[in-house]
Formats: sequence, structure tokens, C-alpha cells
Amino acid sequence: MTPHSPGTGQINTLIWIGFFAALIVVVAINLGLFGALRRFRGGRGRTAHAVQGKPGLQFRVAGTLAGFALVLFVLGIIFTGNALSTPKTTAAGLTSLNGEKLEGEPLVIKATGQQWLWRYNYPNGAFSYWKLVIPVDTEIEMKLESTDVVHTWSVPDLAPKVDAVPGKDTQVIFRADAEGEFYGQSATLSGQAYAPMRTTVEVVSPQRFEEFIKEQQRGIKAGQEAAERIETQKLKEEEAAEGGSSEESTSEGESE
Amino acid sequence: MSEQPRPEIAVDGLPRPKQAGWRQMVTSADHKDVAKILMVGSGGFLFVAALELLLMRLQLAIPENTFMEPYTFNRVLSLYGATSIFFFALPLVIGLFLYVAPLQVGARGTALPRLSQMGGALWAAGAVVLYSGFLWTPSEAGVNPLPPLSELAFLSNNGVDAWLTACGFATFGFVLISIDLATTLRIDRAPGMAWRRAPIFAWTAAVGSWLMLFIGPVLLAAFTMLMIDRNYNGTFFVDGAGGAPLLWQHLTWIFYSGAYMLILIFAFAAIAEIFAVFSGNPIFNRGAVMGSIAAVAVLGTLAYMQNMYTAPIGLGWKYFGMLMSLALIIPVGLLFFNLIATLKDGALQMRAPLLFAIGALSAISLGLAGEMQQSLVGAAWYLKNTTDSTADTHFALVGGAVFGGFAALHYWFPKITGRSMGEQLGRISFWTLAAGTLLAFVPMALAGWEEGQVVDAYKFFNHTGVNFYNLLASIGVLILFIGVVLVLINAVASVKGGARAGHDPWKGDTLEWFALSPPPPHNFDVQPDVRSDRPLRDIRAAIARRARDVEERAARQSQPVA
Repeated sequence: MTPHSPGTGQINTLIWIGFFAALIVVVAINLGLFGALRRFRGGRGRTAHAVQGKPGLQFRVAGTLAGFALVLFVLGIIFTGNALSTPKTTAAGLTSLNGEKLEGEPLVIKATGQQWLWRYNYPNGAFSYWKLVIPVDTEIEMKLESTDVVHTWSVPDLAPKVDAVPGKDTQVIFRADAEGEFYGQSATLSGQAYAPMRTTVEVVSPQRFEEFIKEQQRGIKAGQEAAERIETQKLKEEEAAEGGSSEESTSEGESE
Repeated sequence: MSEQPRPEIAVDGLPRPKQAGWRQMVTSADHKDVAKILMVGSGGFLFVAALELLLMRLQLAIPENTFMEPYTFNRVLSLYGATSIFFFALPLVIGLFLYVAPLQVGARGTALPRLSQMGGALWAAGAVVLYSGFLWTPSEAGVNPLPPLSELAFLSNNGVDAWLTACGFATFGFVLISIDLATTLRIDRAPGMAWRRAPIFAWTAAVGSWLMLFIGPVLLAAFTMLMIDRNYNGTFFVDGAGGAPLLWQHLTWIFYSGAYMLILIFAFAAIAEIFAVFSGNPIFNRGAVMGSIAAVAVLGTLAYMQNMYTAPIGLGWKYFGMLMSLALIIPVGLLFFNLIATLKDGALQMRAPLLFAIGALSAISLGLAGEMQQSLVGAAWYLKNTTDSTADTHFALVGGAVFGGFAALHYWFPKITGRSMGEQLGRISFWTLAAGTLLAFVPMALAGWEEGQVVDAYKFFNHTGVNFYNLLASIGVLILFIGVVLVLINAVASVKGGARAGHDPWKGDTLEWFALSPPPPHNFDVQPDVRSDRPLRDIRAAIARRARDVEERAARQSQPVA
């Protein structure tokens, strides 16, 4: 992973801390194990003579291990807490939307997981599928929900993984530090098309973001109008084809 | 004639009555026969599970592969999850406990044999249900069938019902056997065998039985609720109708974490027995080892919320899960320390059981170190549900159930069949397995860590940087599969063709080696008196002393009186 948000930076550090702790453990155990194998191999007239540990040895070992565990626990809490602490929108980020100032409030986006795609709802009524567009250096509060099964929203470079569970409201707060495209994929088995249930996050400048959601809004509006036009035209055609007399029978049919 | 050694040892090697046939075995309530059914079955299912893993890895060998349909992959995945846990690992562990532990404590049988018999039959029924489900439509809900995906609305064929019935039967069987084992180990130990003198493996069998008594019913409750949801319009896990999908995660993770710990403590105990016998030393500080095994069972099960770091539970609970996971460092570390210290100043005989035991310990160290990294809440927010977490779990469980199980198999095979397993093939299969395990799971861990490749997906995409890792992992699983097949061939061939072993081929210190190989239905003609934690060593010393006395007396008598 290459972290591109303050939170994932902390997560990455914690992963490396965990890795070095794991490395110490693995090296110590396997050195001891294979060292003992080499030194105490039987044959060549070697006989076993049992060794006795000094009294208190077990307590010293247990104490050392407890110290090690405690250090990891404290580091775990510190870095997890850091990853959670809300990174505020900077001056370079989105400070106003639709002419209203955000005043340090996060930009709220709703993500809905469904078999097998993600839908994103933006504040002005715009929405998009598959691809999330967010402004750079802006605090994003993402509300997650699921309409069917458990999904996990995961864009490793930008934010922690969070489950979208039906009937539960979950959220994740993050801030992207760089513009670009980031790859994401659902991370809980959700049925047949789980593997292609991917998503991308495009991080853009605040100006481009505002243009984008306006475009989306216009596009959606145009689409809806076009759909309405087609619908009314269809109705008119039907009326013309069936003639005025059929109107009564239709209404009768409906009432029945 | 009173100077004769023990009768068990005197009749060793004499022709003995023909072994009972399979017809008698399946109707027997003897703990050894029930355990044999479990172990033979688990060997077969190991082959099946390895084959299923190999099939999935074939699909994942190259990016965007079309070898398998998505639903086929999910079916194989669901079958693999059930087979590897409920039909390979747990029956192997519980079967070995049931076979060896009563012998080790010098019991003439188990206390409630009909329960074990019923347990074995239930397990077999579960196996039949799972694989007759394969003939129509298997489950597509994955290794742990999370609702709502496993609800009727999303998987409307009866595959999930078959999956639940199969695993439920098996778990119910394990619970019944555990009742029998826990009772036997409580009341039927030989005179003088206080817990402080009981073999580590028997102690672990007792701890494991109690653990299963706690976690088994939890899983059965969850399965029952999901069955009611699916078949009788229940709403236990349906949101919006008073149910909660999250409840399933709590219940099943309690079981899966506990089962994980059960497999681990089984492996540690088998390794402890093997290290002691093959180094010629007593177990280093057995009190600490026994205490640690009990602590692992308790703490590991309490750490179940480690699996729910991305789920909507309170942050405090996540920290609690992390605390319990990290607390495991103390007993697990003590186990590693004392087991390795057992080797110190010993005279190691490099036989196949010792090789497998060392492999098991090494693989478990890799897996648990990885789990330690995953237990840090923040780190898991990236690593969870990546192939890195799969690799860690597989290192620990392949280390525990496959390497640890094979170590125990090679070690107790002479007792169970009266013949030794082939040493040469044992070594070859060990190195094959070791190479396969490393090659399969190290690249998988790297793919998960570096690129965040997700688990359970039927394909991965080009240009995500994981092509090479996945190819390597697939080759590794192929080698692993070959190693498993080699061990199984060795075992099958040795049942008839192995060298006759005698009752005590390894010069063991525990009482199972006092019985004949294979032991008669009543286990012991004479129930031994236990005076120390190495009872068979005492018996051997006593026999040697007596033989010396006889010789000396004979020598004195034959001397002419001067």
C-alpha cells in the first residue's frame, strides 16, 4: 500500500510496527529451534541429561513476554487512535459547496453497497455508480449502508476498511492528500459477482469537484426529462392507437 | 514364576487373534474404534480439502481466469471451509484425543462409550450430508456463511441447509465425544495419576473437551437459528424485522476462534510428547506447559472479536479483542520457550515424528506472528480480509493440523496399527510439505500486504501487481497437495506393509506404550500403579532391576560353595 491520507499513513506505520514485532518473534523462535537441533543431535555417543531451570525462570520469561505484549498493546491503541482522529479540511480543500460555506464541517457522502456495485450520493442530489469523485485535502464523512448483504468498502490507500451491514449505519472519515485515481474492492464475500465488485476513487481539485457534481446533476436531470418525454410520448401514442372509446374500459379495468 | 516381567510385555510379538473386521468396528462403542473411524475419515477428507484448495488455486493461477464459473468457485470455497475444519482438522484432533488420552491415563475404556459411538455416527452422517449435497447444489455462502447472504432471500436453493446440517451434525458429534472424554479423564485415571502426573496430551484432551463443550453449543445455536430463518420464516438474522445480521458473527466467531485454539493446543501437546521422547528429556517445566495450554484455550476464545474489527461494534470491544489476542503472547511464548528448552542437552533422534513436530512448531510460529500483527486494530483495518490474513491462518492451521497432525500420526501410528510408518517416505513427504507450505503462503501473504488482494474472490485482475505472487502460490499448493498425498500413501501402505513395531518402539514414558500395539479392547490386563510423571520409565527401570536380581541370584546359586 502507498498511503495517501493521514489515517492510512498511521495505519501503515502500525503495520510496520506489527511486522517488526512479528519478525523478532519468528527469528527468535526459529533460531532457538534450529540451533537446538544442530547442537543436541543424538548419535556419536551423546546421551540426554535433563536440565533444570532456575527457580523463577518461568516468571522472568512470562514477565518479558508480558512487557512485549503491553508495548504492542499501547502502540496499537495510540496508532489506531491517531488513524481515527479526524483530519480537518485544509485551505487547499473544498471550503464551500453550492455557495454555502462548509465551516470546517466534513463533506458528507453516502455510499450504498448492493449486489454487486457501489452507489455514491453527493450533497446536491447528484449520484454516481462505481466511481467516487472527491475533492482533495477535504475531510470526507462517508456514511455506509447496504441494501442486501454485508459488504466491506475498502480503498486501501485512502481509508480503513469498514463493513456496510444492512440495518446498521456505519461510517468512515478520511481525507485524501493527493489527486489521482485510487483502486478499491469489496472485501467480504457477497455472492457471485463479488470479485468484480470494484470501485475507484478519483481525487480531484475542489473546482473540478464542483463542476463534476453539477455535471452529474445536469446529466441526471436531462436523463429524467428524457425518460419523462419518452413516457408521455408513449402514453400519447397508446391513446391515439386505442382511440377515445377505450379510455372508459381502461379505467374500468383499473378499478377492478 | 513371580519374577516374570509384566504380562503385557511378555506376550508382545506372539501371534494374536485376528483383528476385528470393519463390520465390528462400525458397531463398536470402544473408544479406539470410534477414534479410528474419525481418523481414517479425516485422512480422506484431508485429501478432498487439499484437492479443493488446489482447484481454487488453479482458478487463481492466472489473472482473470475463466477455468471456473463464479458460482462454482463459491461452491468449492464453501465446501473447502466445511471440509477442512469440520471434516479434517477437528475429527483428527478429537479422534487422536479419544484414542490416546484414555490409554495415557491408564483407563480400561471410556466412561460413557455410547456417547462417543453416537458422536462418531453423527459425524459420519454429517460427512454424508455434505457430500450428497454436492450432487445437487452446494452452498455458495463461503467459509463462514454470513447472513444475510446465507438467508433464503439470497441463496434460495437448499445448499446452505445441507451445509448447516452437515457441520451441525459434526459439531454435535464432537460435543458428545467431548462429554465422554471429559468424564473419562475426570474419573477413570489409573491409581496414583494425579493431574500433576498426567501426560501433557491427556491434560490437553481434557482442556480441549471442556473447550468444545463451551463453543460447540454456541455454534449449534447459531446454526439452529439460521435453519429456522431459512425454513420457518424466522427473523433471527433478518434486519428490519427485529433480527440482527451481526449476531451471527458474534456466535460463529466464538466457535471458530475456539476451534482454532483447540487445533493449536492439540499441536503443542503432541509436539511436547514428541520432543520429550525424541530428546530423552522430560518436558521442561511441565507445570508451566499445562497452565499455558489452559490459558491459550481461554484467552484465544475470548479474543474472538479480533475477527470483527471492521464490523459495527464499539471501539472499546475492538480494543478488548486486541488485548486478549496480545495477552496470548504470554502463554504461547511460554509454550515455545519450554518446548525448545526440552530439547536442550538432549540426544535428538532425527526420526519422522520429530521432523514433523519441528516443522509444525516453525509453521505455527510464522502463523501466530502474523496473527499478532493482524490483532492490532489499525493494522487490521488494512490487512483484514486480504490474502495476508488467509496466509497467516493457513500457516497456523496447516502447522497445527497438517504438520502437527502428521507428527502425531507418525508417532502414534505404531500404537494404532502395530506397524511403523515408512521412515524414508516420511522424510520425503516432510520436505515436500515444508517446501509447498512456504511457497504457497509466503507469496499469498505478500500479495495481501503489498497490493491488498482480497480473499474469497473467484478471480483477480491484471495490472493489480499480484500475477506473479498468485502463480507462485498456486505452484506451492500443488507441491503441498503432492506432499499430503505422499503422507496418505505412506499411511495406507504401512497399515499392512510396515515393519512390526512392538508395544514401545520409541521408548516412550507414558502409559499408552505399556499397552499392546494395537491395544486389546480392554486396553490393559493390569492397570498400572503410577508413582511419577514418567510411569513407563519407572516400569522399565523396575523390570531391568528385577532381571538383574534374577541373574545375580542365579549366578550365586550356580557358584560352587567354597
